[in-house]
Amino acid sequence: MAEAYNPKVIDHLVRPRHAGHLEEPSGRGESGDAACGDVAVFSVQIRENEVEEARYEVFGCAACVAAGSALAELVHGKPLLEAARVSKADVEEALGGPLPQGKGHALTLVLDALHKAFEDHWSRTAAAGLVDGYVGGGGAGEGGVVAAMSGGVDSAVTALLLKEAGQDVAAVTFRLHDGERGSRSCCSPDTVLFARDTAHRMGLPHFTLNLKELFNKRVMQDFVGSYEKGRTPNPCVACNAHVKFHAAAFLADELGFRHVATGHYARVAEGPSLARPVDESKDQTYVLWPIPKELLARAVFPLGDYRKSEVRRIAEDRGLAVAYTPESQDICFIPDGDYRRFVRKTVSAEPGEVVDREGVVLGRHAGVVDFTVGQRRGIGVSAPTPLYVTEVRPKSKQVVVGRRRDLEVREVRVRDLNWFLPPEEASSVQVRYNGGPVACEVEGDGEGGWIARLQEPVMGVAAGQSAVFYSADGGRVVGGGVVAPGGE
Amino acid sequence: MPDPVYLDNAATTPVDPRVLEAMLPHLGATRGNPSSLHARGVAAREAVEAARGHVAALLGASPEEIFFTAGGTEADNVAVFGLARAADPGKRHAVVSGVEHAAVREAARRLEAEGFEVSWVGVDEYGLVDPAEFAAALRPDTALASVVWANNEIGTVQPVRELADACARRGIPFHTDAVQAAGRLSLDVREAAVSTLAISGHKIYGPQGVGALYVRGGTDIEPVVFGGGQEQGLRSGTENVAGIAGLGEAARLAREELGERVRHEAALRDRVISGVRGLPDVELNGHPELRLSNNAHFTVRGVGAESLVLVLDSLGYAIGSGSACSGGGHQASGVLLALGRDEQDALSAARITVGKDNTAGEVDGFLEAFAGAVGRLRELSPVYAG
Repeated sequence: MAEAYNPKVIDHLVRPRHAGHLEEPSGRGESGDAACGDVAVFSVQIRENEVEEARYEVFGCAACVAAGSALAELVHGKPLLEAARVSKADVEEALGGPLPQGKGHALTLVLDALHKAFEDHWSRTAAAGLVDGYVGGGGAGEGGVVAAMSGGVDSAVTALLLKEAGQDVAAVTFRLHDGERGSRSCCSPDTVLFARDTAHRMGLPHFTLNLKELFNKRVMQDFVGSYEKGRTPNPCVACNAHVKFHAAAFLADELGFRHVATGHYARVAEGPSLARPVDESKDQTYVLWPIPKELLARAVFPLGDYRKSEVRRIAEDRGLAVAYTPESQDICFIPDGDYRRFVRKTVSAEPGEVVDREGVVLGRHAGVVDFTVGQRRGIGVSAPTPLYVTEVRPKSKQVVVGRRRDLEVREVRVRDLNWFLPPEEASSVQVRYNGGPVACEVEGDGEGGWIARLQEPVMGVAAGQSAVFYSADGGRVVGGGVVAPGGE
Repeated sequence: MPDPVYLDNAATTPVDPRVLEAMLPHLGATRGNPSSLHARGVAAREAVEAARGHVAALLGASPEEIFFTAGGTEADNVAVFGLARAADPGKRHAVVSGVEHAAVREAARRLEAEGFEVSWVGVDEYGLVDPAEFAAALRPDTALASVVWANNEIGTVQPVRELADACARRGIPFHTDAVQAAGRLSLDVREAAVSTLAISGHKIYGPQGVGALYVRGGTDIEPVVFGGGQEQGLRSGTENVAGIAGLGEAARLAREELGERVRHEAALRDRVISGVRGLPDVELNGHPELRLSNNAHFTVRGVGAESLVLVLDSLGYAIGSGSACSGGGHQASGVLLALGRDEQDALSAARITVGKDNTAGEVDGFLEAFAGAVGRLRELSPVYAG
């Protein structure tokens, strides 16, 4: 049955504030779906981090129209950081208290439209700069930190710890791809909505940056391309190398903030260089090696000083809804984990031969993209002893198989290096996310690459994976690079 | 602010002062129970039976064919479940239109849940049931059929006589919800072969919470409410004497004043229709001619119905958004969807239903307020290009 609206709702409905749209806004955002019954559009004019003008349009129930008016009134003429902090609860309060049962969606709808307008503003500001890889200006302010929030527990606690330490924090969520849970339909949970809600509950301003183009080019296409070239990609490394830190630094520069923070388990040491975290079981230094030094100098990783169990406890103590979210998947844009199907959606795999090391044809395969070095299952050739993929040759469409010991290597060639400390300090190298470091000696190959001579053999070193060098005490990352194909 | 102009008579009508007068004796200290043998009981019984006579006269029925209920919804439920339970055990099929009021629609869905098969008969773009399609849905195992006489949202009047005849020829009980039709159409059961027919007090200037079910003599129907055996055992429970007296008086006035009311309402309705049609991007829903004398129903493109209703309310005009029962929830009108409209159209519905006491001046004031409200809401509508 109909529940009566608060008089303030009716007031906003009958005397709407800031209704309409700007002809030339600096950002425009739309949320909802006419088929669902509600559509909200915000247009904003932002200059020097101030929302000079905000206008709204709504088709939908009275609560949505009134919420649009109330939100426009709350942000019009306000500093951007203040406007980005306005939460669903603030809008509800401006409407005189709780909306009738079933009308809460109005708050989500109008807030999402406003934030999409902010997002559009940043996209226009970034223009091509962000796409080409932003390294950041030198004119950043003294304080302030942009904290990346994915919607998970780690990044939420990161932002919270910074805020509790008295820092000026702005939370940011990156829109990376269309595969986020539920992001296609209008009334379902969405990663960005969830992260925004979490930030607002902590009283933090929140922004969303649309990085889909950059992420697609630098991470997803690279991922598919690696398989085509017979290499084993690491998309998290690619994202850290080209996307996440650059985008956070861009936003920090725009806001006049100095630092960028993420929820990685790592520490920043003198140099700057990377150091392993307190919780070694969660160590993420292996995927952080490609951060450019000038960005690492601005990075903070508050979780480096905590154990995961403590992080969860902090989230529970502060009543964060994210406390019980599951661990994120390995590859965020392949939620079902079936990366072969993902690769095959983009590239047409051509069949070829399965051969042994001597070139004897043992069978056929459906495409080199299905294989990665070290793989044992799905080779489709029966043999008395287990066979492993030892090499993938995309040019001749050959997959080379051998016995386990054929996978052993004692020398790893590394390219595209990023050194934090002098290379001579490297005393061990890690070549797989879940593998430990192996003692080694390094020397330059004279062409910009480096060769790591391992003191004990390592199995299944795949080209395309990261090789990360650690210091003699094991605590610091000396540098890292990409494993080059053995034969090249 | 003066009393708002009331243009939502399909939701409920004001109580006629003469109706209130008829009810008052049964609300005070001297009221009685019609089952009692003493003088007070006799007075109450007489009031109930007089009312039964008036309702019977309105429908062209005999008094013993009238059963009082606690409203239109209950009358519909007693009919649907009562007919279904009285049918031969082998008859487990029902034919129901796609534009029923919730009282019949949900009852039929309940029958489905209990194992009945229901054939839902569709409608054309005006909301009309096709008699041939309806007849084709009837089967040897059909236990009952039900089609609303006039739809509560868009006001389309169904060819009930034809539909009822199709059932009568096959010996299938036919129910009709005449809640909106009563007082606006001639509902003579001597001319329409309906088996059961439901009306409600508060749609004909009577009280809320009282209604009546007509059951043609000889129709097999089982009770769904059990108790003291009142209303010939079909609807047990001490009678709502004041309500029934009010319904009786309302029925008497409806019969007496029918022609005059219909002429008055139809003139105002046409004034609303021609005025609203002067606005861009509005569409009249329902049938251009076969519609209730009091109903004007529109799709107002680009405007959310709820917002429109509330803005007009603030301007002193009460209208409806779709049906009053779904107006509170965030859902599109099922009837408009049944006409083949999309969700957005179905969420942009405005129902203006005039009554016997409205005036041309009120309508003119409304038309001005309506144009202003639509204009303002369209200005802030992102889906209206204008």
